[in-house]
Amino acid sequence: MTRKMILVDTSKCTGCKACTVACKEWNELPAEKTQLVTSYQTQKDFSPKTWTYVTFIEKYKDQTMNFLMRKAQCFHCGDPACLKACSSKAIRQTESGFVVIDHKKCIGCGYCTENCPFGVPKVDQTLQKSFKCTGCIDRVENNLKPACVQTCQTGALMFGDYSDLLGQAKNRLSEVQKTHPQAQLYGEKEMGGTTYVYLLMDRPEVYGLPVNPTIPLSLTLWKDVVRPVGGIAVGGAAAAVVIGVFANIVKGSYRSKDD
Amino acid sequence: MGINTQTKKKESQSPKILRFTKGERISHWVHALAFFLLLFTGLGILNPSFQPIMNVFGGIQIARLIHRGAAIVFVVIVGLMFVVGNPSHHWEWLKSVFKFTKSDWQHVRAFPKEFFGGHGDYPPQDKYNGGEKINSLITIFGSFFITLSGVVMWMAPWFPAGLVRWAYPVHDLSMFMMVAASLGHIYLGVLHPDSRAALPGMFSGYVSAKFARAHHALWYERVQNQQQKL
Repeated sequence: MTRKMILVDTSKCTGCKACTVACKEWNELPAEKTQLVTSYQTQKDFSPKTWTYVTFIEKYKDQTMNFLMRKAQCFHCGDPACLKACSSKAIRQTESGFVVIDHKKCIGCGYCTENCPFGVPKVDQTLQKSFKCTGCIDRVENNLKPACVQTCQTGALMFGDYSDLLGQAKNRLSEVQKTHPQAQLYGEKEMGGTTYVYLLMDRPEVYGLPVNPTIPLSLTLWKDVVRPVGGIAVGGAAAAVVIGVFANIVKGSYRSKDD
Repeated sequence: MGINTQTKKKESQSPKILRFTKGERISHWVHALAFFLLLFTGLGILNPSFQPIMNVFGGIQIARLIHRGAAIVFVVIVGLMFVVGNPSHHWEWLKSVFKFTKSDWQHVRAFPKEFFGGHGDYPPQDKYNGGEKINSLITIFGSFFITLSGVVMWMAPWFPAGLVRWAYPVHDLSMFMMVAASLGHIYLGVLHPDSRAALPGMFSGYVSAKFARAHHALWYERVQNQQQKL
């Protein structure tokens, strides 16, 4: 399957939250008690049972208020930190570009939760399994759109082949920039190119998104330096012991000394 | 226990000298047993290929629980030994290993040769020789950092993600250093023809005077002088 992309065109989003309901329905996720975060936002963060929600930023200018709305879910990174951090090889990347957790392998260690620059995966403490948006991989691999895209009424969510859709996104951006000069694409270059790409109306920091998300330095150091170097140190110590024992056998030290 | 009494009987003719008090021996073995329990229950999360072995503990989730329980023993019991009973020897050990002298360095330089069964030249050593001090320092710093990072990992939701992320490499690095040191430590204590004479010191507390004179002359002389004064 070719590399897919979902464009989240926030300029077309009306904040209806139908995508969040469609996600719950398709993935059979129970409703959770919501709370009022800002005037329209009712979900603060992801949870094991809530994989997508809409953030509402209130932006005031010239005595008027504008909502900056953004559907939040897993970005499905091209270079996912969660996959690198996973203790159990439970996270894989599909050819289509989606990052999915295998719950048979997941042990709920939470390494993905802590290392995701967007704080997406959440561990269910009872099940000891990590949960996040699957990109509706079960639908996508059967030539259906993800549930959120399928239900979106305004065309704010679009699904297609990566190269096609990215071209469309760039055309749309130049149009939006005429009225919103700060508008930009987010996810084209971030984290090795994400599968969910955003057309944001303003700078990412206004939305509370990291300006330059990367694989944490600590994670690279841990998996690419500490692990191999530590393995060599332990292996070296073990080899030294074996050589030591043999050296002593050859020298006959075990026979001559006995106190 | 039976082995201990046997050893005592066998060596009852040759003079012995007390090297480790009961408190020190308890600390050593609680630390050692907790360490290996922690190591084995942690293997499943270190590498998924170890996960089938976790069935020994009843599955990886049980292993993770045992890991936390053993961590409490590792920290609390050994920590308590520094304050209850007669902890003065614990503090003497701490003070001594942080005081790295010239003769300690000379021992460290001769150590590789000794390790592989040769004989290096080094001046008379105190109760702890240079190599033992390095092993102690690795244990002290390793235990310190593995505990701090472990607390952060256990209570991850209470700490910022930026800190939790650093706890993982710190935890692993401490583990690798301590495992490497423990391999050498066990070899020297059990398999090395010269230094394994130190092993009874961790069971009965006593080592042979002959061993003490040969390996820890400074300490031996001091103890002999103190006893003569009494």
